Amino acid sequence: MSEREGEREMLLDVPVEPPVEMFLPIPRRFLEDAYRNDDYIVLVGPQHPGSGHMRIILRIKGDIIVEAIPDPGYVHRSMEKLAENRLYIQNIPLMERPAIMDTGNVTLGYVRAIEQALGIEVPERAKYIRTVLAELSRIGTHLYDAGILAVFLGHTTGFMWPFALREPVIEAMTRISGTRITSSFIIPGGIRRDVPWETLEFVRRVTYVLERRLKGFEKIFIKNPSVIARLKDVGVLSKQEAIKFGVVGPFLRASGVEYDVRRVEPYEAYDSLNWDVPVADEGDSYSRFLVRVEEIFQSLSIIRQAINELRSIPEGNVISPDVLDGYEEASSDIRGYFYRVFGNLVLPYGEYTSLTEASRGTLLYSIISDGESNVPYRVRVVTPGWYYLKGFMESLRGERLADLQAIYGSFGYFPPEADR
Amino acid sequence: MEAVYELLKAVSKEHFMENMVSIPLIQPVIDNLLNIPLVGYVVALILWKPMFALLIFPGLLTLMTVLLFIIWFERKLTARIQWRRGPLEILRWAGGIIQALADGLRYFFQEVIVHRDAHKPYFIQLPILIFIPVLLPLLFIPAGSIVGIKTPYALPVVVAIVSLIPVFIVAIGWASNSRFAYVGTIREAFMYFAYEIPFILSVVAMILVYGTADMTAIVEKQTIPGIILNPVAALVFFISTIMATSRLPFEIPEADQEIAFGPFVEYSGIMFGLVMTIAYEKMYILALLMSVLFLGGGNGFPIPLLGDLAPVIWMFLKTMAVMVALAFLRSIYARFRLDQALRLSWTTMLKISAVAVLIGAALNIAQVA
Amino acid sequence: MIKIKVRKPDMVENIKLHLDALLTGVKEAVKPGTITIEYPRERRWLPDSFRGYILFTPENCISCFQCSFVCPANAILMKKSENNRYYPSIDYAKCIFCHFCVDSCPGSALRQTKIHDVVYIDLDEMFCPTENMINPPEIVREDEYTVEYLMDLDIILKRVKERDDLIPEVKPVEIIKEYSSCYEPDSCLACGICVSSCPNEAISITSLDGEKRLKIDADRCTGCGICVKECPVQILKLVKG
Repeated sequence: MSEREGEREMLLDVPVEPPVEMFLPIPRRFLEDAYRNDDYIVLVGPQHPGSGHMRIILRIKGDIIVEAIPDPGYVHRSMEKLAENRLYIQNIPLMERPAIMDTGNVTLGYVRAIEQALGIEVPERAKYIRTVLAELSRIGTHLYDAGILAVFLGHTTGFMWPFALREPVIEAMTRISGTRITSSFIIPGGIRRDVPWETLEFVRRVTYVLERRLKGFEKIFIKNPSVIARLKDVGVLSKQEAIKFGVVGPFLRASGVEYDVRRVEPYEAYDSLNWDVPVADEGDSYSRFLVRVEEIFQSLSIIRQAINELRSIPEGNVISPDVLDGYEEASSDIRGYFYRVFGNLVLPYGEYTSLTEASRGTLLYSIISDGESNVPYRVRVVTPGWYYLKGFMESLRGERLADLQAIYGSFGYFPPEADR
Repeated sequence: MEAVYELLKAVSKEHFMENMVSIPLIQPVIDNLLNIPLVGYVVALILWKPMFALLIFPGLLTLMTVLLFIIWFERKLTARIQWRRGPLEILRWAGGIIQALADGLRYFFQEVIVHRDAHKPYFIQLPILIFIPVLLPLLFIPAGSIVGIKTPYALPVVVAIVSLIPVFIVAIGWASNSRFAYVGTIREAFMYFAYEIPFILSVVAMILVYGTADMTAIVEKQTIPGIILNPVAALVFFISTIMATSRLPFEIPEADQEIAFGPFVEYSGIMFGLVMTIAYEKMYILALLMSVLFLGGGNGFPIPLLGDLAPVIWMFLKTMAVMVALAFLRSIYARFRLDQALRLSWTTMLKISAVAVLIGAALNIAQVA
Repeated sequence: MIKIKVRKPDMVENIKLHLDALLTGVKEAVKPGTITIEYPRERRWLPDSFRGYILFTPENCISCFQCSFVCPANAILMKKSENNRYYPSIDYAKCIFCHFCVDSCPGSALRQTKIHDVVYIDLDEMFCPTENMINPPEIVREDEYTVEYLMDLDIILKRVKERDDLIPEVKPVEIIKEYSSCYEPDSCLACGICVSSCPNEAISITSLDGEKRLKIDADRCTGCGICVKECPVQILKLVKG
């Protein structure tokens, strides 16, 4: 055992020289122009305590940001390429990885593209349970982003409370799917196993607990004067700008555009439930935050309605018989049949696209199949983070350097999700 | 010969015993101890009032206890508000009360890194030198009759020395020679100008109210606490204290998420331990000052058994109350932006501190009349 | 559509908001809604379906390789054991606990446990060979209490002084008898790959009038489907018995 490599002593005597020339993904002319105009360049990231693994190159005049250039890609994991040599079913855990808290929506998008290819109609019960799972992930992600926003503003309670409130959400997801975050629960044709009534009742209770505790959160963080002062009228994106820069999701709605994929192209059980799309007109950081807070309440209402609907749908049959293909025994629990059912899944020739409203915005999956192999020919994933990166950068223009964190948090920009 | 005699007299046990802290509760013990040759001398020296002020209260011993306690308490209180447990594992049965001590030990055994670009002498010296302005005010703050140096100008002296601290912090930032330290230093300098004027104005208002700058006299005059006499000044003083100790919502110079502890970003090991406690020590001094100016210092119910210790206890409790209030704010507020904080202090704060001075002047005239 | 309207609070509102925030803080300081579970001493109650450490029952295994085929992280390695059969071994350095393998196992040979806190010294040790998967791993249990989150208008921590059983009873999968059969015997090359691949020696080639014929013993066949995958002309398939 002593011959193992890790236990050998190593001498580190490498002379360290500072890099003479640093690579910057901006043209040299830009740098020279900045210096000539008495501006200076600040590199925020990639290890800055206030941002994720992403670099923002700022050109600053005094304390005012003149221009912001993003340098993403530090957490790029080549999801699309990896997906090309995995079975269709093996891609589900893979596609969860970019936006880890948003597992419900992210897998839902991928699975819906497959279902579209195979022409499967999902059983009613599975539809509602998928909706519940997607909305739970939405609440979890919005709470997570609120926590990160609070950290950026230096509000420690505002960080701890949403993370604590995520705990009931995660507990609900554990009871539904068996694991805390990466549930991999939604599979083509339905869900992995039926959810018993006690669990659904537990989830329903969780929504009331969240609503109750969010009241205190509203007093201490959302309506805190210091938070309002930091977020109000900061990083404004007008309606035209938001449309022009292709901002998506709650950030587009915060600029006054009523666009929600769940409304425009309803999927799962959304068109049979009664819910509203929160929209704000200001387009500043505070309304971007408030829209997401309101979405949490809408999600709670959706979950309650879905569970009420589930009351009348008999248990069992959560996987479509079209996909089971002879293994009808598995229609309420895939256990024992998973590989036999999905191992040789081959999509017909063609390109299949699905749009999903993930927590941070529109999520696009496009699967191209050659019709004979059991792995996708190409999987295109465009995550919301990537869509609104441009709008995020544009909203920084003309703001103060200290506002960078507030705007960053208000967008909930999540580098792993954007970089994929 | 005369001088030597005088000196000997000054350090003699009898001289110490003339001005000694009297504690009726343990007086027999003290009397017995005083009779033992060498021990008696030490006991007399410690209980000599100026030395007591220096070593016990408000000096060294209390300072250390307060530091250890308030860091632990702040974390515990914040944790409680945030639905957590806080430090717990070290000395579990006491709720992890010696956590700060353990952290200090850890800092002590960590490597102190002095980076290449730092101005080495200043970088190492300044965190130690900064203890001069941080600790010197303790000599002037009275607890009942216990005071290090009794002077009619105690209040101006304390304010002047406290005002020196940011200069050292700016120097620390300069010596660190790093971008974050640079930005943090600039922010510290901006904040310094912003809070200093309302701070001094509120102290001036209180000097006007009492008609004296001698802290012992101020405490004696407070049959009604200063906070009731001039609540506006108390408010200004409190907010200035938050700004001066850079606590939330004005934790602007140290903003963790923006500039990574600002001026102190380059420090590591025990040096970081030292600079980290500066803010808490400053907080202690300002809380003492606040309890003297607004909360009646050592005034309170006399406890006959404790004698001279009773004011000490009252003052300690009042100081702790102020510090707890300051610690509490940390879990309530987000950080303001620099320009917002500056606007607040140069407009609103300046206005209400002027009102405070007017109230002080009015009370002064009323007293004279 | 809900329109969210916000305006800057005026002075009076501002003071009210300040007071609200401060009072909320005071309320929490007095009566906190702590939800911490002190983990090593208390253990969280987990549902029986919790996806943790995977246990293996060799008697139920039919060496069908499905677990290793479906593993998205390539964490399962099939190793030949003494009785000439292949059993899975899991590399926990790679495992992502998606439990696709558990859900794939046709004979309930793999089953989930609630164990999620096994400590390894290094990456090599995280490779868990078959013989270590039969019995639950050694974990140090300091817990005396099991804590369950009850949601009853507020988060309530229900502490019970007992140790949670980490290895739940799992309802075995209803086994459907399947066996391999040749649906186009005329195309058979009699190459013998299926014969050598069969772990149960259920397939044999018999010579009848100079013509070689595949003979599958349905009783010995466990329906693992390896021969189906191996057959170069794809003339074998699994049929329900």
